[in-house]
Amino acid sequence: MSEHKAAPMVDEVSDFEVLEMAVRELAIEKGLFSAEDHRRWTEYVHTLGPLPAARLVAKAWLDPAYKELAIKDGVKASLEVGVDWINDMPTHFGTPSDYCNLRVLADTPKLKHVVVCTLCSCYPRPILGQSPEWYRTPNYRRRLVRWPRQVLGEFGLQLEPDVEIRVADSNQKTRYIVMPVRPEGTDGWSEEQLAEIVTRDCLIGVAVPKPGVKANAKRPVHPAVHPVQHDHDH
Amino acid sequence: MDTSDMNDAGAGQGLPNLDTSPITLLEKVRRQGRVWEDLAEQYGVTNPDPPWKVNLEAICDALSAEACALPVLERRWEEDELSEDLYADVPYPERQLLALAHSMIRRGLVNEDELAVRMKQVHERLTRV
Repeated sequence: MSEHKAAPMVDEVSDFEVLEMAVRELAIEKGLFSAEDHRRWTEYVHTLGPLPAARLVAKAWLDPAYKELAIKDGVKASLEVGVDWINDMPTHFGTPSDYCNLRVLADTPKLKHVVVCTLCSCYPRPILGQSPEWYRTPNYRRRLVRWPRQVLGEFGLQLEPDVEIRVADSNQKTRYIVMPVRPEGTDGWSEEQLAEIVTRDCLIGVAVPKPGVKANAKRPVHPAVHPVQHDHDH
Repeated sequence: MDTSDMNDAGAGQGLPNLDTSPITLLEKVRRQGRVWEDLAEQYGVTNPDPPWKVNLEAICDALSAEACALPVLERRWEEDELSEDLYADVPYPERQLLALAHSMIRRGLVNEDELAVRMKQVHERLTRV
């Protein structure tokens, strides 16, 4: 019998939550920043460096045999990046058996995976760290399964209509990470270089890796695309 | 408040013109909005911050770095001004959010009416599921 219980959550939409989303959406529509800019700043706030899951993906990109292993047996493949799902309790709570199954979902150019936990906030913490706050919101959990293309668009990820989206719903026993398609422009890169661009959001599936985009890199400051006139007298 | 340092940093232009008078829409949110500390207690949630806080921080960062529409020092100065009086009774980070929206409206980055319409739409979207 499962002892698993849904984590408590605030099941109420507050005016402040609504105000934040409204301000953000209007700013994006007015071209002050893009949805992807916003997502990247959010990710920057949350993460510090390459995660074990990023190393797993980078290794798989370089080694076809390891890629095959990762897709077939994510738990075994995790050992090579220092994560033992069976014997360790990296989260320091719960029982190891709660976390014994990791599936690695391999994207293709025509298939995009994205991970959610509709019940609560199940997340592959041993290999991916703490979940981002947005992952735990009812907004993400409820809407992603209904309108995945729209929700991904809100993260700045616009997919072509012919790209199929598969939403993986995490649960007590099974956790997921996404193995994105290796981007162009990375030929000859080392595993370390590749791991740096496999950011947390790429591993959840709400973003795709791009050369030069690292979650922990200082964001460049550049001239505004749509400069704002500060003189309000006109 | 001595703003000479910020003026020296090039962030002071226009600061004395901040209109700190109440904005009807934001006053409604201030009065009626339920703050995170109350919601967390009611629902037994231990997370000290509301889930939207990280989004708020990213908006502030993006407005400063991506668009130069609201430089961080100016926003912080205005937030301090508004927090001393108008939003003094609102806890953080709700206060930061109200101050940001206030600054954006006063600067003409968004207008109050369109924000009200969008809030209604967002509320309907979030409560539909």
